[in-house]
Amino acid sequence: MSAAQLQVAGGAGAAPAASAQSVPSRLVRARDVLACEWTKLRSLRSNRWTLAVAAVVTLALTTVVAQAFAASPAGGKHGAVMDRLATSFLAYAEYLVLPVTVLSVLVFTSEYGSGLIRTTFTAVPRRQAVLAAKAAVTGAAALVIGEIMAFACFFLTQAILTGRHGGLSLADPGTLRAVLAAGFVLAACAVTGVAVGAIIRHTAGAIAAALTAVCLLAVLCLALPAPWNLRIGRFTLPFAAYDVVAAHPPAGLLSPWLSLLVLIAWPAAALLAAAVVLTRRDV
Amino acid sequence: MTPTILVVALVAVAAISFDVFCLIDVKRGRVRYLSKRGWALVICVSNPWGGLAYLIFGKDRSGPPAPAPPLPDVPELPAAPHAAQRRRPADPMAIEVNRLTKRFGSVTAVDDLSFTVRPGTVTGFLGPNGAGKTTTLRVLLGLEAPTSGTALIGGRRYQEFVRPLHRVGSLLDATALPAGRAAWFHLLAVAQSNGIGERRVREVLELTGLESVAARRTGEFSLGMKQRLGIAAALLADPPVLLFDEPVNGLDPEGIRWIRLLLKAMAAEGRTIVISSHLMSEMAQTADHLIVIGRGRLLADISTAEFMSRARQDVLVQSPRAAELAGLLTAAGAAVSPEDGGLAVTGLGAGAIGDLAATYGIAVHQLITRHASLEEAYLDLTGASTDYRAATQAPGVPGTPGTPGTPVGTAVR
Repeated sequence: MSAAQLQVAGGAGAAPAASAQSVPSRLVRARDVLACEWTKLRSLRSNRWTLAVAAVVTLALTTVVAQAFAASPAGGKHGAVMDRLATSFLAYAEYLVLPVTVLSVLVFTSEYGSGLIRTTFTAVPRRQAVLAAKAAVTGAAALVIGEIMAFACFFLTQAILTGRHGGLSLADPGTLRAVLAAGFVLAACAVTGVAVGAIIRHTAGAIAAALTAVCLLAVLCLALPAPWNLRIGRFTLPFAAYDVVAAHPPAGLLSPWLSLLVLIAWPAAALLAAAVVLTRRDV
Repeated sequence: MTPTILVVALVAVAAISFDVFCLIDVKRGRVRYLSKRGWALVICVSNPWGGLAYLIFGKDRSGPPAPAPPLPDVPELPAAPHAAQRRRPADPMAIEVNRLTKRFGSVTAVDDLSFTVRPGTVTGFLGPNGAGKTTTLRVLLGLEAPTSGTALIGGRRYQEFVRPLHRVGSLLDATALPAGRAAWFHLLAVAQSNGIGERRVREVLELTGLESVAARRTGEFSLGMKQRLGIAAALLADPPVLLFDEPVNGLDPEGIRWIRLLLKAMAAEGRTIVISSHLMSEMAQTADHLIVIGRGRLLADISTAEFMSRARQDVLVQSPRAAELAGLLTAAGAAVSPEDGGLAVTGLGAGAIGDLAATYGIAVHQLITRHASLEEAYLDLTGASTDYRAATQAPGVPGTPGTPGTPVGTAVR
């Protein structure tokens, strides 16, 4: 490369430098950070493959679960525990929610692990903006994937159940709401995962904490003596999620709208905590 | 389906799901896949809680590193000063560090450090490992909050910059890269965060000679290529200030020369350039000005030329009548110590020694003025501040001549 070429390169760079003199609006800056985080999210091959595998496995196991449910006598052991609607999302809850939560945790912890987080915060010194952008991009992607998969799981399950118990359709009362809510659950867990990753920073610890919040806490609550297992458990993510996706949730849970509030409160609280620690800590 | 087949199918589907195909690399915090060269052993055990647990042992052998593309030519330095003036960035910015202190618990990494870096020079930020160089740079970049004092760039704190890459380009750790992301996307993400377009991303890739490997994942890059990618990121917005932490670490001689020429060309354009290093010899060839620190304190803030002139010097004299000459020299006030095939003389210049020898008719075969190497001068300066220096050596170290006003304690453990 000759001197002239460098001058060309430098000259081209002078244009954005000049535009930096006029301070870009908040909207433009937000768009910049969102574009950056979206590029990061979509450019990891591992994300795409993990999602593809998780989607295939979820659909396969949804079929298996629906077959098993269809084979059980109506109103029998399974019928008492699961209703026809919630059955659609059994595999979804395990084989899609958990992988997506783990991927969301990695959004921050992978940058902390590699040291890339310093590059990120050097490019965007307002750390809450980075947190907000990562949460927004990851949450939006999870919402889209969640809704698509929720509808797919619903239709698949109900098609299999049609023969035996009579499948539900979206026209049945509360059904559309439940399917939409199932998609939202994925976004709520993803945003919680992003925030937990920002707080804990280390991959192993953050995954453990996020899976505790998204899954294990409810299991622990079930081990409590009788009235308390649901009284406390209904404020955990899995119970709240079950509440909003079931046609006939068991007694003792919150009302569906309150459960939706619980689904919003978890990621909101985690984001708030993450915003506080991010600004106070050295990188 | 019979129950048995169902269970077998379920386990098989679960086993080839998420759990096996992707292993979370806990150490590096990323999901990695088993390539064709890798293997995995999956043991499926039922646990007391009724679920299944997978124990996965595996080894992933990544592919060979990408071959390094050739380095592009660095443009010639501008011949005349006025040529440099023309290319001066619109807004030259100085760096001012004022009474900066940073403590981590009981450890003081930076201790009341003050210095100024002027535009248009390559300033070497020099000190032994653990002297506080990286901490100072991190505080300058707003990554760490100072315990007290200020670190300003162009009179402002880094956090106050909107789109800071347009003001300051930095490279802290070249290996801090997303291993699974292609170089192109890494650079693009950094560019987008500051409103820089794709065209400029292509330009910096070309400038660093990486355009042919832009589609490769950064995990396949060699250290030298990672350094070049880091430099490309720092140059994205063509900033007036550049901060590089150890930019030549692990580079081959060709790469070192390339960076050196690039930095000099950039400085000639009026930019403010700081490069940190623990290697004096490298700094001597690259930096115009030196800021030397040890144990977080300023040891020297002088030009490279002055630093070199202050280094110890002596004269090697070879003469067939060495013993006789030694006596005369000692009488004239010089310190003489015998050396292999000659005398090492300090306290008298080569001219005075020659005159003296001529006066007494003593033949002199060689008369060589020797400067201590820069490395030695640097060790003299930092020796007392090196954390792990042996106690007996410190007091005898000829002392810290370039220290302006900052006392260096007998820093010995």
